[in-house]
Amino acid sequence: MQEGLDLMPQIRDKARELLTSGAVDCVIGYERASDGLTARPLFAYEPNDVDKLIFDQTCAHNLARFLVNKRDSTVAIVAKPCDSRAINLLLAEKQIQRERVYVIGVVCPGIVEATWGQIGDKLQARCQLCREHTPLVYDFLVGEPPAEEPPAEPYHDVAEMEAKSAAEKHSFWAEQFARCIRCYACRQACPGCYCTECFAEQLDPLWVGIRIAPMENEVWHIIRAFHLAGRCIACNECERVCPVNIPLSLLNRKLEKDVLELFGFRSGLSAEAVPPLATFKKEERLGMSE
Amino acid sequence: MIEGYQPKIIGFLCNWCGYAGADLAGTSRITYPANIRVIRVPCSGRVDPLLVLKSFQRGADGVLIAGCHPGECHYVEGNYYTRRRFALFHPFLEYLGIEKERFRVEWVSASEGKKFSKLVSSFTEELAKLGPRREA
Repeated sequence: MQEGLDLMPQIRDKARELLTSGAVDCVIGYERASDGLTARPLFAYEPNDVDKLIFDQTCAHNLARFLVNKRDSTVAIVAKPCDSRAINLLLAEKQIQRERVYVIGVVCPGIVEATWGQIGDKLQARCQLCREHTPLVYDFLVGEPPAEEPPAEPYHDVAEMEAKSAAEKHSFWAEQFARCIRCYACRQACPGCYCTECFAEQLDPLWVGIRIAPMENEVWHIIRAFHLAGRCIACNECERVCPVNIPLSLLNRKLEKDVLELFGFRSGLSAEAVPPLATFKKEERLGMSE
Repeated sequence: MIEGYQPKIIGFLCNWCGYAGADLAGTSRITYPANIRVIRVPCSGRVDPLLVLKSFQRGADGVLIAGCHPGECHYVEGNYYTRRRFALFHPFLEYLGIEKERFRVEWVSASEGKKFSKLVSSFTEELAKLGPRREA
């Protein structure tokens, strides 16, 4: 649990330096939540605020989520490797400007399962599958990058799901989606969901009706996942914030797997990458007839 | 097979190829099953996965998208996007419990009235064998 604590002084010093010199207007980082155990986002505007900054294995939030809202000011952000992929995604999609973001990258020890007032000792599922422990984009790196990244075969649960019959899959997802209360926390937590008008809020056509019905939940979840196809950076914040524990990563990672197989693409690895559904190759067949 | 069951197919046909192909089938008196309900779209690239999903939700047994052959899009590259989008969406539908036989993306040119007719016939047969979809 204490892993990562030694990174705190470095983060604080850097943040203080940036705020004092006026290089940035705000530092987005983590502070201790009021339960005294877990972490919550901190927006530090004054050099005095930086002593609240922390970094340890409870810092789950993907802070890149806030960059789009802050695009008119210059900010520094504390970024884990998964968050750094989100920064690359936002850069690639021209949502933020590189020169207005100062990235304090942290080498990540993995984030632990935690709920309010309670910290587990087990790493989150996504962290167990993580392939990048060093941020992919940073201006200042905190921590020692590991010598070797573990090879990963992270799709066994997706493959299990694929192997089920159509009827089994149908009833599984019907059960999952039935629990949804459509609070849209999954969307609010997602760094890739930045549309000013989400399809779920459009009234004409009314894609997602306001009535409480399985059908409306289903269309929300399927299209939400598909809008992130080839864009999702697997921070899994959507699943973490879900109040009814819908296994959203099972949807996201199915698309991630297929994107990798079809297009050989993983999102957020570079700031220049074009999302696979926004481009094409004339000669590809993709399993379709001529 | 269920006696008397007629599958419902929603067909999104591109104005320049799929739709013209269907039209040619009509004017050439080539018959095809009336199970298909045609929706004309300007380009197969216009078809949002939302439209496909909504069709299934509102009772379609099968969804067909027919566009120009790759390289022959009226808008030059619209159908290349269609191809990528649905190459990805198709297995996703299957993953969610909609049998992969229920969804097809086909390339039908304006001169392929016969191909269109055969396509709708074989699709209808296949869906009839599969039977109606489970209620959502």
